[in-house]
Amino acid sequence: MDAKKIIILSALVVVSLILAVVFFRSGGEEKIKHYLDESFQEKDNLSEESLPTRSITLYFLSEDDNYLHPEKREIVDHPSIVHQAIQSIEELLKGSQNGLLPPLPVDTELREFFITKRGIAYVDFSSEIREEHLSGTSAEMGTVFAVVNTLTYNFKDINKVFILIDGSEKETLAGHIDLSRPLVPRYDLVAN
Amino acid sequence: MSSDAGSIPAASIIAIGTKALSKSRKRNLIAALFIFFLAILVFSQSLTSLKISIRDYEQYGRVVIESAAPLSYHIEQYTSLFLVRFRAEGNFTIHRESFKSKYVKSLGWAKGSDYYMLTINATGPDYSFESFTLTNPHRIVIDIHLPEQSKEDLPPPEKPKRTPQPRTEEAESQIESKESPDRQQDEVEEPSAPSMPPLASQALRTIVIDPGHGGLEVGSKGKFGTLEKNLTLPISQKLKAIIERNLAYRVVLTRDKDVDVSLENRAAIANNNRAMLFISVHVNGFPRSSARGSETFFLSLNATDEESRRLAYMENNSSDIESKISSEDEDDIMMILWDMAQSAFIKQSSELAENIQQELNSLLGTRNRGIKQAPFKVLTGVACPAILVEVAFISNPAEERKLQTEEFQENVARAIYRGITNFLRNYSTE
Ligand SMILES: [Zn+2]
Repeated sequence: MDAKKIIILSALVVVSLILAVVFFRSGGEEKIKHYLDESFQEKDNLSEESLPTRSITLYFLSEDDNYLHPEKREIVDHPSIVHQAIQSIEELLKGSQNGLLPPLPVDTELREFFITKRGIAYVDFSSEIREEHLSGTSAEMGTVFAVVNTLTYNFKDINKVFILIDGSEKETLAGHIDLSRPLVPRYDLVAN
Repeated sequence: MSSDAGSIPAASIIAIGTKALSKSRKRNLIAALFIFFLAILVFSQSLTSLKISIRDYEQYGRVVIESAAPLSYHIEQYTSLFLVRFRAEGNFTIHRESFKSKYVKSLGWAKGSDYYMLTINATGPDYSFESFTLTNPHRIVIDIHLPEQSKEDLPPPEKPKRTPQPRTEEAESQIESKESPDRQQDEVEEPSAPSMPPLASQALRTIVIDPGHGGLEVGSKGKFGTLEKNLTLPISQKLKAIIERNLAYRVVLTRDKDVDVSLENRAAIANNNRAMLFISVHVNGFPRSSARGSETFFLSLNATDEESRRLAYMENNSSDIESKISSEDEDDIMMILWDMAQSAFIKQSSELAENIQQELNSLLGTRNRGIKQAPFKVLTGVACPAILVEVAFISNPAEERKLQTEEFQENVARAIYRGITNFLRNYSTE
């Protein structure tokens, strides 16, 4: 085998590889980024009784106005933020201890949860969040931002929240609020 | 197309390579590589890459949009905002050079239903512009001039705007050095893209009204079983009739019967009709039955403050902003701008919402209820001022009953109509 030709050929292969990579990368503007940091499954083996607790703020709706109302709750101060965040969502799903209205349909369950390196929390709810939803802009805003505000307010590692339903991305929650993008918190929706 | 897909052809090349080499069929290998190169070239063509540069010359700011192939485009002006629309065939990527200009404040990039849109935010209102094309490489050139009256503010004093001017050396090198035999042709093309008069005098044509939901998408439900979709349609039809009776605009409904229309298509109907305004009509729902009243919404961009600053418009690179953007974050810029044609119209949309909300407040005798922002899917792709009005709460039994009456529906339609006319009046005198 002619060594010169092999060199030329391998050079050609390298060039075409580079071209291929450049070309395909430039077309990938809708890359879905899943930089998993810690995963849901990693949900620990630590004994919870031995751990201290921390106070967090949950957001519920009220009988008096259309705003979100804070309610304090103690959760296990677990070293994993994912674990703490899951506890917060589960507390939100359990409902208020002070008679506030549940922002999510009562049968909704948390299916999966993870946080990306870049601070986007993916929260996957069961289909009840949509099927049993009252629908309507204000009702959907209440649901979405109860979740988004709860997660971003309590955890510095979370800046945005991507709500999934039944494992997949949905266009809207129940016809109005956009779920096709990660959401940032709306503290203007919180009652003073 | 995900980046993962890129590894498949790359791997197959290696496979072809090793196999061919082992059989010493170098000629086949070379042929395969050649074909692959050709394929890359052909595919690359469908991915239009635009290079945007901005430069100030003595009497104007020049925006140059360079592309591999000629582009069909259209420019509209909304006071201080210039919209350059490109018909989208394949994907666009843009590369912009950093710039500092006394004519151009910022650039934005958005995708509509069947076009892409470059927004050029001028540093002030009522600037005039000229545009023409050059070839070799293909370029769209947009020259932005200050309005006549503010000329004297400019040091040093300059000649009136439209007189022929000696090109600066920079301009020479940019234009003349790239001169091609097509140049004469280009000169002839110049008048084909004349300056457009401001929007208000020319482009007020179609108002698109969007009756929320329809078909299987029933929307919110009332205690007495009323469905949102069955209220939004008659209110929208009444609004259409009032506008057509009183104003010289065409009104298009996104649906005129009980059918499903996707949210994307609703925005497309507005954009394909070059809508001047987009009004989405809905009825609200809330878990607490006492919630009541009308609310007018416009789109929230759903970006953090810092992102709004650097993403909604790609601010010209002041170093402190730029240094915070890692290459990973650049992907987010495109993701957030994707389909967000509405991001260019947020200010006008908030004013439209304000005008309509005022009229609804006085109709219902409500105390000053403000306008609100929410991330509505239906508004994101709409390329004109767009709002969503929540007429009343179907979840409130008293309002549900009221919503069913012709009289209330008519009153609401009239209030929205008055809000629209107030907005149009302010808009055209701006
Ligand atoms: Zn609706």
